[in-house]
Amino acid sequence: MSDTLKSVAELFVNRFGDSVTVGSTQSGIVSLDIAVEHWLEVCRALRDEEDFSYGQLTDLCGVDYLGYGQSEWETEHASSGGFSRGVDSLGPGRFDWADRPEADQVEQRFGVVAHLLSFRHNKRLRIQCFAPDEGMPIVPSLVEIWNSANWYEREAFDLFGIVFEGHPDLRRILTDYGFTGHPFRKDFPLIGNVAVRYDSRKKRVVYEPVEIESRVLVPRVLRSDSRYNTDDVDLAVEVPAAPEQAESGEAN
Amino acid sequence: MSEIRNYTMNFGPQHPAAHGVLRLILELDGETVVRADPHIGLLHRATEKLAESKPYNQTIGYLDRLDYMSMMCNEHAYVRAIEQLLGIELPPRAQYIRTMFDELTRFSNHLLWIASCGLDLGAMSMFMYAFREREMVMDMYEAVSGARMHAGYYRPGGVYRDLPEQMTRYEETPWTKGKDLKRRNEWREGSLLDFIEAFARDVPSKIDIYETLLTENRIWKQRTVNIGVVSPERAMQMGFSGVMLRGSGIEWDLRKKQPYAMYDQVDFDVPVGVNGDCYDRYLVRVEEMRQSAGIILQCVDWLRENPGHVMLKNFKIAPPTREEMKDDMEALIHHFKLFTEGYCVPAGETYAAVEAPKGEFGCYLVSDGANKPFRLHFRAPGFAHLSGMDEMTQGHMLADAVAIISTLDLVFGEVDR
Amino acid sequence: MGMNNPTPLGAVDDILRPGADQNPLLDRGMVTTSLDALINWARTGSMWPVTFGLACCAVEMMQAGAARYDLDQMGVIFRPSPRQSDVMIVAGTLTNKMAPALRKVYDQMPNPKWVISMGSCANGGGYYHYAYSVTRGCDRVIPVDIYVPGCPPTAEALIYAILQLQAKIRRETTIAR
Repeated sequence: MSDTLKSVAELFVNRFGDSVTVGSTQSGIVSLDIAVEHWLEVCRALRDEEDFSYGQLTDLCGVDYLGYGQSEWETEHASSGGFSRGVDSLGPGRFDWADRPEADQVEQRFGVVAHLLSFRHNKRLRIQCFAPDEGMPIVPSLVEIWNSANWYEREAFDLFGIVFEGHPDLRRILTDYGFTGHPFRKDFPLIGNVAVRYDSRKKRVVYEPVEIESRVLVPRVLRSDSRYNTDDVDLAVEVPAAPEQAESGEAN
Repeated sequence: MSEIRNYTMNFGPQHPAAHGVLRLILELDGETVVRADPHIGLLHRATEKLAESKPYNQTIGYLDRLDYMSMMCNEHAYVRAIEQLLGIELPPRAQYIRTMFDELTRFSNHLLWIASCGLDLGAMSMFMYAFREREMVMDMYEAVSGARMHAGYYRPGGVYRDLPEQMTRYEETPWTKGKDLKRRNEWREGSLLDFIEAFARDVPSKIDIYETLLTENRIWKQRTVNIGVVSPERAMQMGFSGVMLRGSGIEWDLRKKQPYAMYDQVDFDVPVGVNGDCYDRYLVRVEEMRQSAGIILQCVDWLRENPGHVMLKNFKIAPPTREEMKDDMEALIHHFKLFTEGYCVPAGETYAAVEAPKGEFGCYLVSDGANKPFRLHFRAPGFAHLSGMDEMTQGHMLADAVAIISTLDLVFGEVDR
Repeated sequence: MGMNNPTPLGAVDDILRPGADQNPLLDRGMVTTSLDALINWARTGSMWPVTFGLACCAVEMMQAGAARYDLDQMGVIFRPSPRQSDVMIVAGTLTNKMAPALRKVYDQMPNPKWVISMGSCANGGGYYHYAYSVTRGCDRVIPVDIYVPGCPPTAEALIYAILQLQAKIRRETTIAR
């Protein structure tokens, strides 16, 4: 399996050279990082050329890499300094509009990830490009190459603020009419900034600042030990012992 | 002579045929649709952002609520994505159970589709028939997970628990006793597998009834033949998947092309349409229902003969049983870590897709090595299908717009997420 | 009287006769009492909901109206138009974008009207309480009579809620009010 993937990866490198970098090849899908200058030209080749013929764009989404690899769980000082929650920093879901984290300058913050499907070769491909400017992310639009990108790009614009140059109709699609902000960005609070209620004097629905407090029960923690090796776990079919059988056989 | 202008009309969001919350702005020239602009987002619940603040297993419940007509298929996609990143293999019994429940879910979804399509186009008795069968499938969901609709049954590593030995039965009440009670409990005397088998064997005769009602019906044909025709090239370009592609003649089914669970071990056919109109898609879905019954029977046979465990015995991911937890120290520690912190998925990204009844439902998962996902994105088939609505509706009349919305098989939980 | 048991213990909930001890005005005037009973019988015997299914609870609502849990036997027929209905079952998650439409449909219903909030999303935001785009309960926008807990409430729970609403109508609706 990995040999086939390697040869597929080589195909890309041979054809496109420096404009692409082969990323991960996990679970049978090759991931290509494409520089934004070459985004349109590489995509057109991916659709039209015989070796690739990725006829359909199945998915396109934005990703905000702010806070990648950051953990909230800081126990070293907690254990020596007395009993403490150990939760440090404002992770996803923990802050509200007033104390949202300042977006520090992250290089390559907004990425656009597209998944392509080749019916002819029965292959999938993931292509990714990073918007060059984090303050005003602009990426060329893929609508003319694959029509299905239309609504996906509208969604990425709505939720992340990534502007797609060349898109015929870039307006918000999922958020409320008149909503300000790009909600899926990591510095936008989960609880948002407005809430809605009906005002019987004004006889209409009004927007007010959100009054609930955010609540996250489980801290975010990163651990990197390889624990999931199932080589020594017996997956063979076995008849479970009698007490377990009686327990699982209870009718509800 | 007075000036003639196009009439812009708002269809929805509260509308009996809008299939949920769809606001469709239609520009009409008399009765003909000139342009259709769907406004979605009226059920946007920020599932993907909520998932970033929850450990992996706590998000499984949200997946049921995305495409709320085919619950377990969505769970399957998400759980497959996690398993791909974890790099784990499942016990075969769990995979067969998943295959069986995926097909039961497909059957349930197509029943609701045919019911609501019939309701939209005027055939209300279809609604009653289809929901009667759907109650059986909901009984199966309840037997195995405790909930009629939102099961939360699939977990990374397998399924939550094994199939029960005794199917739930009707009790004797002052109004139901004796022969009446026996008739009601006819299929429920044995285990869940017996019930599923009896149900699946009865399916062909039930589908014959539905076909008698609709397939050769003049009115049905007049309302669906040559409506919403999609050519194969446009279907591929617009991002269609599932029945929308197969109705137009493209033989593409993820269960055959990129098999997962035990789909490569079971025998089934994939129906493909010819013209790409609503009638062909209806025929494809009905035939898929028949094929699902066949797959379910094969799975039941295998499951009867092969007992085993249904969850990976790896306590780093799947919790130990209560007895083990109370006896063994390591099991207790694993239980504690799993239920307070959850397991951490190695850094990486993956895309897992399943052939959901509506099309290709995919889950794109980016992990940075934490116990919560960094970015979770769902590729909903309804989103792509609805984006093609404008092209499909142009030139048709207002009543056909209703037929097209129902043939797209939309559910706004997944379109809006 | 507990919040979760609206019918007080011991009160007679006869289908045609509202509890006389709850409204002293009813003690006088036998005519008023019979007229009340008649009106309540008419109102509770044919409650027509407007179809307001938003999300997954709508499927359970449809199941309640379908073959096994037949709502038609109770006189409940789903009407597509709010102008022809007298109860609204809010089934599903109410988002900020949908809230004005909900209010508009409620305002289009003629009096007397009642609201059943079905499911935890409609009750108080539910599973999506912490999301930015969700209205935390439909009672921020419309007045609610009965709340049905569940995610989704089973079809039986919805039928129970309709029976509770019928009891509430009989208990609270009087001409003497």
